[in-house]
Amino acid sequence: MIGLSWLDGISRPQDEQLARDIRQALDQIKKKQPGREGVFGTFVSSHDLIHRIGGETDTNANTTRRILLLLESIAIGRPDAHGRVLNNILYRYLEEDRGLWFGSNQSKVPRFLFNDVARYWRTMAVDFAYKQRTRPDGGFLLRNTKLRMSRKLLFLTGMLTCFDCHTRFEDPSQRRDFYRGKPVEAVIDRLREVLNQPPLEILASSLLKYESFDGSIKKLFTAYDEFVGMLADDTLLPNGLTKRKHLDTLPAEDIEGDDVASDARNISHRFRDAISELFLTKDTELGRLTLEYGVF
Amino acid sequence: MRKVGFSSGAIAYGDFMGALSMLHKAQLQCLELSALRISELEPLLAALPQIDLSAYSYISFHAPSSFPKEMEAWVADMLYRGVPEEWPIILHPDTIFDFSLWTRFGRRVAIENMDRRKPVGRTAYELQKLFTLLPSASLCFDVGHARQCDPSMTEAFLILSRFAHKLVQVHISEVNSASQHDPISHGAMLAFRQIAAMIPEWIPVIIESRVTSTRIQDEAGRALEALSLNH
Repeated sequence: MIGLSWLDGISRPQDEQLARDIRQALDQIKKKQPGREGVFGTFVSSHDLIHRIGGETDTNANTTRRILLLLESIAIGRPDAHGRVLNNILYRYLEEDRGLWFGSNQSKVPRFLFNDVARYWRTMAVDFAYKQRTRPDGGFLLRNTKLRMSRKLLFLTGMLTCFDCHTRFEDPSQRRDFYRGKPVEAVIDRLREVLNQPPLEILASSLLKYESFDGSIKKLFTAYDEFVGMLADDTLLPNGLTKRKHLDTLPAEDIEGDDVASDARNISHRFRDAISELFLTKDTELGRLTLEYGVF
Repeated sequence: MRKVGFSSGAIAYGDFMGALSMLHKAQLQCLELSALRISELEPLLAALPQIDLSAYSYISFHAPSSFPKEMEAWVADMLYRGVPEEWPIILHPDTIFDFSLWTRFGRRVAIENMDRRKPVGRTAYELQKLFTLLPSASLCFDVGHARQCDPSMTEAFLILSRFAHKLVQVHISEVNSASQHDPISHGAMLAFRQIAAMIPEWIPVIIESRVTSTRIQDEAGRALEALSLNH
């Protein structure tokens, strides 16, 4: 994730200058500044990310930073501060999850973490509507397509990471043995191992064993591949814009009948259908867990 | 009951005779003789035959924490010849320039996991690289360093689970943000308890907290409480 400078250790007056220097460096190489809402492009202390989970002080920005840090961040330069913060955030979610350690439920999914990931997914969906109101200057269709594709993938990634705490065992006795004695740090290690992979790899490795769902899996990845291809396509349309720029500037009232918009919608529908086939079924462990944890 | 003791360098930096005198009164079972400054190495080794260490059931020797590359062979040779074979030699991995100089020590040399200022040996991953180069070396696990590198104690857990078979000694203290060794705080104690069960009871615990002579017993009590197996 581009856009956060780390405060690691002692806070210094020069930290603000560091954030300004990074912004300036991005301008010099003509890169777009991250985000308009001020969530990124600034410096952040790990204190709020770790201690403010839930409650009044867990702002939209704080939740966004925390969940994106967990699900799709990489460290530029030395990775130790990054790893340290991730471990401590995960520690909060796990250590306080009484159901995970002491609950009667045989499913071992960290519900506190899962609920925060699910909350973030719903927050993104609600913020989509909010931006429609506050940004009448366009961008609706690109945001909408991203919500249906990359944002949804992010939620899936978080969900599957949580499910991995349950599914990665060969049998129930192995799982029971592992969770005996509240091994918080061991679960953090496992979660970090999963989260070290890019989202698509997390998804692919989780689905690999469901051979009977090959058709749906192929549909899912093909749709995502087409989505990435569409946004990366440099070919200019007759109006002189790339497909990405076209999606970004097309007014909402002109969507009907627009070919690019229609393609984007079609891709997102196939992605949605494949996800439903794979996750809204009682025939797979992933589906069972989705119904158990993802709905109520 | 765990065996506990102090590092002479924590009690009186650069004055091992003064430290031994203060520690003698505390009647602890373990001792780490510290030659953290290169200038201390020769006098400390020379004094060993004259020092009465019979009160201690466990003794280790801390190698200098910094020396130039050209002195490494001399340091290794001094330690090899001057330190009794049964004493573990605690070595900071960032002082190693030439690994071949240390292979002959085998298990006698105990690599210590480092604080976050150091470029090597801080994590299980970094330690693995060192143990690949020194496969027979043992481990001195500094729980304060591990907490400073990762307060969630996940890294401590990983180090202890991966290198349990190499563990010969534990260092304990609060390691502050400037990487200085302070007395064990309540926060550190809570963190250390998380992994206490992973440290076998027979592993000697050496305290590195810088305390005055009047605080030696208190700090030993805190170290034992932090690593108690009865939480």
